[in-house]
Amino acid sequence: MNFADLAQIVWENLRAHRMRAVLTTIGIAIGIAGVIAVVAVGQGGQAVIISEIEKMGSSRYFEVGPDYMKGETADSNTFSLQDPVLIKELSPAVEKMAPLTLGPMVDIRLPHSQQKSMMASLYGTTPDIIDAMNLTIEKGRFLSNSDVTAHARVVVIDAGLAEDLFPKDDPLGKKVFVQDTPLTVIGVLEKAPSSMMDTFNVRSVYTPITFAQEMLNTRVISTLCGVAVSDDAISQAISDSVKILEKRHASTSKHYVGNSLEEQLDMVGNVTSVLTTIIGAVAGIALLVGGVGVMNIMLVAVSERTREIGLLKALGARRRDIMQQFLGEAIALCLLGGLIGMIFGIGGAFVIALAANWPPLISIWTVLVAMGFSVVIGVFFGLYPASRAASLSPAEALRHL
Amino acid sequence: MIRVVGLTKVFGSGDAAVEALRGVTLDIPEGDFVAIMGPSGSGKSTFLSILGCLERPTTGEYYLNDRDVNSMEDDELADLRNRRLGFVFQSYNLLPRHDVLRNVEIPLVYGGAPRGERRERAEMLLNQVGLGHRLTHKPAELSGGEQQRVAIARSLANDPLVILADEPTGNLDTKASKEIMGIFQKMHKENRTIVLVTHEPYIAAYAKRVLYFRDGEIVREEANDELR
Ligand SMILES: Nc1ncnc2c1ncn2[C@@H]1O[C@H](COP(=O)(O)OP(=O)(O)O)[C@@H](O)[C@H]1O
Ligand SMILES: [Mg+2]
Repeated sequence: MNFADLAQIVWENLRAHRMRAVLTTIGIAIGIAGVIAVVAVGQGGQAVIISEIEKMGSSRYFEVGPDYMKGETADSNTFSLQDPVLIKELSPAVEKMAPLTLGPMVDIRLPHSQQKSMMASLYGTTPDIIDAMNLTIEKGRFLSNSDVTAHARVVVIDAGLAEDLFPKDDPLGKKVFVQDTPLTVIGVLEKAPSSMMDTFNVRSVYTPITFAQEMLNTRVISTLCGVAVSDDAISQAISDSVKILEKRHASTSKHYVGNSLEEQLDMVGNVTSVLTTIIGAVAGIALLVGGVGVMNIMLVAVSERTREIGLLKALGARRRDIMQQFLGEAIALCLLGGLIGMIFGIGGAFVIALAANWPPLISIWTVLVAMGFSVVIGVFFGLYPASRAASLSPAEALRHL
Repeated sequence: MIRVVGLTKVFGSGDAAVEALRGVTLDIPEGDFVAIMGPSGSGKSTFLSILGCLERPTTGEYYLNDRDVNSMEDDELADLRNRRLGFVFQSYNLLPRHDVLRNVEIPLVYGGAPRGERRERAEMLLNQVGLGHRLTHKPAELSGGEQQRVAIARSLANDPLVILADEPTGNLDTKASKEIMGIFQKMHKENRTIVLVTHEPYIAAYAKRVLYFRDGEIVREEANDELR
């Protein structure tokens, strides 16, 4: 039997049992669509998170802090304002370093305004932060070293805040109240390239660390943010910083640990790919269930058509011919289901990506693997019924009612 | 042409064993026309399906054109069924979803004949059995006699030497039966070897000789002197 004849027979048989073929196809399609969509959404999400993190700072960025993972926290003795200056001086691997005193939720409003005050993250820091966090000034200037020494009551606000507070006016030189303390706006940052911050509506303001500590009434520096001289120097920069800090703060018996953006990227990559794998596995199980459905259908088809198989064998069909017919049916169902599933999976991934505002990352590999898998399912689950059908003697099969 | 020696067939085993054939020995020369009669359950169908290679005997020998059929592989048997043997069933056994033409084409498909040739041959055969005007009808749209004629055309697809028919007129009225037997007569004149099972003496009368089965054995044989 040549391929055209086989294809014709398979087509005729599927058409003769249209409803059943459609249902089986849907089963497979759902599995395949699930796998493709889940993996695409997962990979798209991962790519977004990674690119967001990359936008958060220089690739040479690193930070040093107490071992937060082990439950340690920074207190007023953990870091001193002199630490970053010294580390920069002593370590050839460290190019920039800024201390950070954080006011996670400060309220901000205009003077005399009836408007509800807004919340923002306050970063008390030094000029070096601009390189560590990849900030760009759109208007005015950033904090200067003299601002820091002078405890200057100045503030740099981000683009979102500038829009919220001064929708019409130029914010430069205007006063804003941060925690009821009047500060002068000296600069506006460019809109952050990181859309994630935007989406979550996180606003930030930057003030000299000296003044921030006065305003927040704290001496605690939570982290030192640094920039290494090169990508290769990051680990050197971290270990140098830790060594210097341990020497300078020997009495506190704190541990200092360093993190680089690279490590964080790896971690995020790991977490999201584990998630994608888990969800993908669930979709894979759906696909397997679809496969069992195909086997079920083929078994029914075989026992229902046993008489017909007997007749075909009586007319000269060989074992191989019967096998091919049933396998062909199973594979055709799975391929068709796979194709439909592919279309819906890709479509679904696009819709979700569009809604979530991230790139639909459909790798050709996912599609190929899903399609390959559906054919394997067809072969695997078609083989048993097909071989059962083919091994009956014609007389036995014909006696079947 | 056909030679069987001591053919037996046992179904099942132990207490449930049924001896359907208990040693059948028979020679059928080329061009012979044999009718088989006998009470129901006497093993006629079993014998015919062994001749038709639809199942294998339990013991005994079977030679077709001097070739030992028992020693053949399944695929060789399939080839015999396809090219050398034509089987006609009491219940026609047409594929209901295919039209008449496609039904006749099926042995040609498994025989590997090219498409165009297949169609031509199927049309020719259907013309021969008088159904040239029904090519695209479905079996359900035909009378019993017409369906059996389609089945006969199908059995002739690969021009076999032997036609085996198990009560081909069992479901038909006398008129249709006679039409069918006319076709068998024609096939006999073409020097095909025919073995036909029937309950009706007037059908058996078309054959050259009549074998009587009882309890899995041939108990009597009669020659028909005057052929119709
Ligand atoms: N598949 C089978 N399993 C068990 N017994 C069978 C089977 N086929 C036929 N028989 C038995 O074998 C005997 C002969 O059957 P069969 O050849 O069909 O007789 P006939 O065609 O002469 O009526 C009967 O007793 C029947 O019950
Ligand atoms: Mg019978």
